[in-house]
Amino acid sequence: MAVARTNGLALLLLPSALLFALFFFVPIGLMAVMSLLTGNPVVAANVAFTARHYLRIVNDPYYLEVIWTTIRIGLWTTLISLLIGYPLAHWMARIRSRAGHAALLMAVLAPMLTGVVVRTFAWMALLSDKGVINQILASLGLTTKPVQLMYNETGIVVGLVHIYVPFMVLTLTGVIGRIDERLEQAAESLGASPLRSFLEVTLPLSLPGILAGSLLVFALSISAYVTPILLGGFQIMTLPILIYQQISANFNIGFAAALGMVLLLVSLLLIVAYNRVLGLVSGQHELQ
Amino acid sequence: MSASIEIAGVSKIYDGGVRAVDTIEIDIRQGEFFSLLGPSGCGKTTTLRIIAGFESPSDGAIRIDGADITHVPAHKRDMGMVFQNYALFPHRTVAENVAFGLRMRGIDKQAIAAKVKAALAMVELSGLEDRRPAQLSGGQQQRVALARAIVIEPRVLLCDEPLGALDKKLRQQMQFELKQLQKTLGLTLVFVTHDQEEALAMSDRIAVMNCGRVEQIGTPVEIYDQPLTRFVADFIGDTNIFRGERVTSDAGPALAAGHGLFLALPASAAGTSLLSVALRPEKISLSSGDTETAAAASGARGTIESTNFLGGAVLYHIALDSGHRVLAQQPNAGAVFVPGRTVKLDWKAADLVVLKD
Ligand SMILES: Nc1ncnc2c1ncn2[C@@H]1O[C@H](COP(=O)(O)OP(=O)(O)OP(=O)(O)O)[C@@H](O)[C@H]1O
Ligand SMILES: [Mg+2]
Repeated sequence: MAVARTNGLALLLLPSALLFALFFFVPIGLMAVMSLLTGNPVVAANVAFTARHYLRIVNDPYYLEVIWTTIRIGLWTTLISLLIGYPLAHWMARIRSRAGHAALLMAVLAPMLTGVVVRTFAWMALLSDKGVINQILASLGLTTKPVQLMYNETGIVVGLVHIYVPFMVLTLTGVIGRIDERLEQAAESLGASPLRSFLEVTLPLSLPGILAGSLLVFALSISAYVTPILLGGFQIMTLPILIYQQISANFNIGFAAALGMVLLLVSLLLIVAYNRVLGLVSGQHELQ
Repeated sequence: MSASIEIAGVSKIYDGGVRAVDTIEIDIRQGEFFSLLGPSGCGKTTTLRIIAGFESPSDGAIRIDGADITHVPAHKRDMGMVFQNYALFPHRTVAENVAFGLRMRGIDKQAIAAKVKAALAMVELSGLEDRRPAQLSGGQQQRVALARAIVIEPRVLLCDEPLGALDKKLRQQMQFELKQLQKTLGLTLVFVTHDQEEALAMSDRIAVMNCGRVEQIGTPVEIYDQPLTRFVADFIGDTNIFRGERVTSDAGPALAAGHGLFLALPASAAGTSLLSVALRPEKISLSSGDTETAAAASGARGTIESTNFLGGAVLYHIALDSGHRVLAQQPNAGAVFVPGRTVKLDWKAADLVVLKD
């Protein structure tokens, strides 16, 4: 009886398992294989296995610099999204009036209804040398020549934060909303100031949300393409831009695949690290 | 050092316009076990949260030992609180939960360890220091919540239906233990419950609440024997309520309850023409009615409709000859009247309590 039921359930899982294999493992497997080949087996004859793509990445400081830039942009975007998103999520999770909640939700979701390109162009209008911000600064007499806000990492991070902050907010709101408000009140009745009660109770209990939201935003921003191109104006090279160049301009699919594997590896390492942290924080608490 | 609490003309109107608490006046004495009793939604939790400082009153003031604390934030009020769902910190061990309040007070580690140990011993949880709340039974969690609240030696302990989630046996045991603890520590304890038996058994005094108002404040005996209002008489225990016109007969004042039923009123019963009176089932004595009793007692005749055997007592549903239905409770001492049997009911006029509507 029990066996039959498990088999039935397994059958139900089959379609999604197949889909997952087809669209997840097959492409990644192909990419892994490609990254180890001397050429594209579809168009070229006698391709062989090689490690040269990886050696090229490791031995050329330029590529290491690109990887580090990508990670740095991802880290800044994640950190700033967290700092902006957490208070917003806390507010949204704790607001009592339904109308207020709906208004906040709309405010968070509305930007997602316009495309990434549109939003990025909007930022360009704001951040460029003749953009709104610089004109305001100049007319107030605060600056004599334009401040460079675009075509550098700052511009990219600003654009990415704007695009990915909703993901952070939505992830955090769910987790914070599930923390019983009475836990904070219990802490306060025991003498903790609201700030202390937040630090001792709310923050540690929302850690899974912080980790999940950060992981999501980080993974999305290191693989972003449009925003880094438009707001970086090809001045800043990131992994996705480099990969695209390798495929479209250099037709070096093997090298592009190797770079793709590096991108994947960075995300995977982060997931492992996050899991470690989560386990450590929720696993042990030294006794006071 | 435990303190007295004064709730002076406190009202609370929530955002939606709900008047959850309406001009409440309660004085809770130092070292008193004080219960807020009432049906669901009558404003008990709101009152408690106002005392704790989680909710600010729309009107009125809260005073502790005479000092106005209406605008003092919760974390500076020095009150312990036991929540209905315990609100234990799930990410901390039992010992850390209990230590929390001490840590907030900046007490040194050794003193904390000693106090935590003593508090856990008091609630008989020694040995469970390193467990997480999720690894405890409901009763154990309740004790941790209690230990966490009293280890800080609060001026006042507030409990919101702390025993609500426990099964009957454990509940009775915890009632006893909480009462013992309150007495030994001399705690001022404000206890919210909707369970009238619990309130009667544990409290020094009770405030019966209804629709955001206090209907009556008194000792359990006063509340039970001299309910002021129809609501209190109805809410606390079983009761018979008669309503009718006050008439004056040769024998003194009486209540014409209709259909020929006249109830002699206690001599003290003043009041307007239309009255309600309450009569507790156990104040009625039943007899077979074969022998005529003295005319001094008031009474009526009726037929037993059903008999509920309660163990120590028997509860009868009786239809009076006048058509009124009443409850009568007799100690289980021998003969039990069977349904269909006609009986004579007797009671003392002094046992009738005149109610305000
Ligand atoms: N945050 C709130 N906003 C609006 N109305 C509220 C709020 N909290 C409580 N109320 C309303 O105030 C009234 C009193 O609520 P309260 O929680 O004090 O009742 P209670 O006596 O504790 O009831 P119970 O025995 O069910 O716990 C209820 O009508 C309730 O719906
Ligand atoms: Mg309540």
